[in-house]
Amino acid sequence: MTDKQQDSDGLDAFFDAARNTAPAPDAAFMARILDDALSVQAEAVAPPSPVTKREGLFSQILRGIGGWPALTGLAAATVAGVWIGVNPPAAVSDQLASLIGTSSATTDATDSDWLLDPLTEYDIAMTGG
Amino acid sequence: MPFDAMSEVPDDALLVLYANGDAAAARALTTRLTPKVLGHAYRLLGDRAEAEDVAQEAMLRLWRIAAEWRQGEAKVTTWLYRVVANLCTDRLRKRRSVDLDSVPEPEDPAMGAEQGLQHVARAEALQAALDSLPERQRQAVVLRHIEGLGNPEIAEIMDISPRAVESLTARGKRALAEALAGRREELGYQDD
Repeated sequence: MTDKQQDSDGLDAFFDAARNTAPAPDAAFMARILDDALSVQAEAVAPPSPVTKREGLFSQILRGIGGWPALTGLAAATVAGVWIGVNPPAAVSDQLASLIGTSSATTDATDSDWLLDPLTEYDIAMTGG
Repeated sequence: MPFDAMSEVPDDALLVLYANGDAAAARALTTRLTPKVLGHAYRLLGDRAEAEDVAQEAMLRLWRIAAEWRQGEAKVTTWLYRVVANLCTDRLRKRRSVDLDSVPEPEDPAMGAEQGLQHVARAEALQAALDSLPERQRQAVVLRHIEGLGNPEIAEIMDISPRAVESLTARGKRALAEALAGRREELGYQDD
């Protein structure tokens, strides 16, 4: 800033006047500047580019079997398999019996029998030697 | 960060926030820097419309460079004054002769009517005298005596030595004093 004591050339009053009558930006001009600022900012801070994140093991397996639709199919098949194992339909039991050489009559037992006495004739024969 | 909380944040830190997408930083920088940039451009050009164009361009360059700004290396205002000066130089080269009638009436802040008129008249007379100075002298005088910067910062803005700044301001002030000598009484200088 100017020093009054050094104002030998008498210019300080003019400099003071210039400072006091500084051209102030009006609201419209300020809005223009801010618009520029925000639009440049929006361009610069673009949506994040697809980051190549390291894929986890589960994701890799999931992708390998064909994604979520394949996984739901696999889950349904698993549940069905477990259910068939726990409560086999008669046709399955007959097929199984013929496969292992026991009569179908042994498999005519009711579900509750099978559940209460899991030791079948086949098992007794095997354990009895 | 809320806008009010930014009044204490330095310019360069605000610029980093701006580059990171902070809209409040954009508003704070606009409010803080635009008046300085416009004022400086006006004093170098003496024309409000042209000064607005220059100020907008300078601020636009600031927004674009924000992402590359290295905090603590240079003052934002120093960089802006330099950009404004360069833009004004380009414009002044295009129009060699200055039409004094085109100098607009500076705005009058709240003050007594008579004192206000006197200030306006003095500011107009100074602006006309500034416009008649060689470009570098005008820039040095404006930075030193109106913007109130120190010689080292002016030297950085103008890319010259502090001694050269001293020389330019001294010659500029001598020329201004001569140009305004005949108008002191007319402008109420005797009242001070």
